[in-house]
Amino acid sequence: MGQVLSENTSSAEPGRALESGELIRLEADIAADGRYGKRILVVDADRVRVLDADDVVSFEIPIADIKTARNEQLPGGGRLEVTTTSGAILPVVSYSHTVAAKFSEAARGIEQLAKGEPLSINLKQQQIRCPKCSRLLPEADGICPACVNRGKTLLRIAGFLKPYKKQALLLATCSLATTIINLAPPYIQGELIDGVLRTGRNVERLWSLMGVWLGVLVAAVVVQILQGRLIAFLAGNIAADLRSAVYRAIEFLQIAYFDKKQVGAIASRVTSDTDRVWGFLVDGLPYLATNGLLVIGIATVLFFVNPVLAAAVLAPIPIVLLISVLFWKPLSQMFHKVGQKWARFHMHLNESLSGIRVVKVFAKEDHEYAKFGKRNRELRDSGVSVDARWYSMFGAMSFFTSLGTLINWTVGGYMVYRGTLSLGDFWKVNAYLMLVYGPLQWFAQLNHWFSRAMAGAERIFEVVDSEKENYKDEGQRLDIVGEVEFDGVRFGYDKSNPVLKGITFTAQPGEMIGLVGKSGAGKSTTINLICRFYEPDAGTIRIDGVDTRDIALQDMRHQVGVVLQEPFLFNGTIAENIAYGKPGASFEEVIEAARAANAHHFVLGKPDGYDTMVGERGAKLSGGERQRISIARAILHNPRILILDEATSSVDVETEKQIQEAIGRLIEGRTTFAIAHRLSTLRNASRLIVLEKGEIAEIGTHAELMEKQGVFSNLVKTQSAINEIVGYSEGDEPEGEVDWPE
Amino acid sequence: MNPQTLCLFHAPEDRFRLTVGEEKSYVTVKPVWSAPLSHPGRYLSLVDGKGEEIVMLADPKELPAESHRSLELELKRRYLTSTILSIDHAKVEFGATYWTVRTDRGSRDFVTQSLQENAQWLGENHLLLVDVDGNRFEIPDVTALDETSRHFVETIL
Repeated sequence: MGQVLSENTSSAEPGRALESGELIRLEADIAADGRYGKRILVVDADRVRVLDADDVVSFEIPIADIKTARNEQLPGGGRLEVTTTSGAILPVVSYSHTVAAKFSEAARGIEQLAKGEPLSINLKQQQIRCPKCSRLLPEADGICPACVNRGKTLLRIAGFLKPYKKQALLLATCSLATTIINLAPPYIQGELIDGVLRTGRNVERLWSLMGVWLGVLVAAVVVQILQGRLIAFLAGNIAADLRSAVYRAIEFLQIAYFDKKQVGAIASRVTSDTDRVWGFLVDGLPYLATNGLLVIGIATVLFFVNPVLAAAVLAPIPIVLLISVLFWKPLSQMFHKVGQKWARFHMHLNESLSGIRVVKVFAKEDHEYAKFGKRNRELRDSGVSVDARWYSMFGAMSFFTSLGTLINWTVGGYMVYRGTLSLGDFWKVNAYLMLVYGPLQWFAQLNHWFSRAMAGAERIFEVVDSEKENYKDEGQRLDIVGEVEFDGVRFGYDKSNPVLKGITFTAQPGEMIGLVGKSGAGKSTTINLICRFYEPDAGTIRIDGVDTRDIALQDMRHQVGVVLQEPFLFNGTIAENIAYGKPGASFEEVIEAARAANAHHFVLGKPDGYDTMVGERGAKLSGGERQRISIARAILHNPRILILDEATSSVDVETEKQIQEAIGRLIEGRTTFAIAHRLSTLRNASRLIVLEKGEIAEIGTHAELMEKQGVFSNLVKTQSAINEIVGYSEGDEPEGEVDWPE
Repeated sequence: MNPQTLCLFHAPEDRFRLTVGEEKSYVTVKPVWSAPLSHPGRYLSLVDGKGEEIVMLADPKELPAESHRSLELELKRRYLTSTILSIDHAKVEFGATYWTVRTDRGSRDFVTQSLQENAQWLGENHLLLVDVDGNRFEIPDVTALDETSRHFVETIL
């Protein structure tokens, strides 16, 4: 990920190159009068200008007069502001969220120029509209959902059939056979009427025809059973394959993906989206094939029997198709709406039931019932209206399908009466009509079915194709000693709002670094970057002098361990959870780790000992117990770099002492980064890094920082003051052993 | 604090300032709506450069006329949200909804995804649309829209 531009210059104004001397040229989407419009920010080596639509300069300031520049976040967008050397804050240009990230980069660029540093920002031109159809893209530089190649998507889906080629081929054959078999009985009936019933003799023909019919029935049953079994086989296998593929892809996605999406939404890609796709592959495609073939087959047979009658009875077909196409879209939208109402209904129901204690305590039953009633009525109304529409459409369609039969009796009946058509042929036509109009009514739905499957497939492939963490790259394998170096690291979850603004420090192997600061200062972000959950936007993190981007990710993570405030345990036994960090660990190793983590004692107190099930997320254990299990897990994992994230908050004093002891053993000889609200955890830290608004305010030992009388000592003093207010006496709590003011 | 004693003004042109009677002066003031969606036009908080509240105005219209005008100007600069006046076109395609609207800031095209989260009903007829970039478009009263616009809202939501 390079962040330095070629030639150190950039333009993000579409269709316009930089003019000579310009370093940055950016288009804002809000005009000077506050309306949507165009204003252009131009940065030269020596000045910052804003040009209005007619290239009139509406703002200008020499770089030399600028001290700092930043993106001020505003409701609905942002504003580039500069602070002058005299301390005044000047707004430069406003813009919507759409371009805010770019202006944040520009602000950084301006600041670099103001400080006399070389310009090093990343303003790559982003595609906002699809180059093909000029629709707005849902994500900048993303795929255009309208221009996704459906043929290609279909081929990719079909790829999942590959391992089951034989079965799929057999299924196709069965479909063809079903079609032919379906065509046989009406034909036999017609032959029977003309050849036997009307003539009143030739009884042998009756027996032979009945024999054929029986054969057809047997064949139909065999084919049907075979087809059903094939479908079940394919459905099961393809569904399982799809789910595995999506799950595997999700596992390797970057953490940033999980920040943006809710767990439920991600899980639905594994469940409902895969369902749609295999449903279409296994039900939709055979349905389409069987019925499509059937309609074509019947039309052919009908024209073969009597072309005039065939043309007459098939005349309503286009009308039926037209109705279903016309009605289907609004109808499916209405169904969608009902689905949304259901979701809202469910949400309210879930919420009020899981919060039933609060509802009761506040005596809000009536209030909740009123809310429920409203959702319920909404649901009722939308259900009624969609059903009403559905039956109108269905009625209209039935009319036209019955019309076919009516035409047959009118035209065909007249032909039989005149003797131009045999009764047998009349009967054949009549029987075939039933077969043809049935499936026709559902053809319009196929489009919907297909669209849903395609949408599901696109969502699946979006996950599969999303940027993965570089797990499989050939990064360097490194036996980590433990030196961790941050070099000018900048990072923001939202690129227009950096959380870390140029962090530089080096942790020596075996050192324990305490990260201190108010919430939002960037402590957790620093740790997230050490875990490589995110890549820095600028700057470099090195381990033992090697850029982390060049180290094989999984290999590196094997050597990093984490103990979190709310440790996550998996549903399983205590022993399994401890061994999670080292698969294949012997039971002796597990016990040893548990001993070191002060967990052995309480584990023995459980009836099933190490075989005790911890429950979902470890719910059957207390907070302190979970914590010690997670420490044992980390000890067994034996990481070179250890991260303790608020590991001792939310437990009682006695438990904390035990956890402290355990942590003391855990950190020995490892490079450790610890965040703690209570300073007691950090008393043993080799050095403290005090973060303030994403920058390092102070670094030093506890004693040094106290002596310095800076930010840290101020924080400690504030805490001591709070201590007194909340009534801790000096003897109860050692200095600093309180919560930080937020 | 009596709103009539508050003097809001721009000096220089870009800087929003406040003096309270004869006693106090703030060189940096930010107007912040406490509840812009549920109580539009009411409960305006004036905060200083450090983000501390100076005063809460239940009804900003009680300010002296000159101060109110400066305030309006500053609010327009700080609140970049839009109010939809009419919907020229809206179409659901492939899971995304494409909108062409006229707002109090002029015409705008935008895309929304997963409407369940990004089309929020704040009241019976009060709708908020959030586009894929996080820009917000408000319709204070759907029933007050013209028929075509209403039709788009009804068919899509």
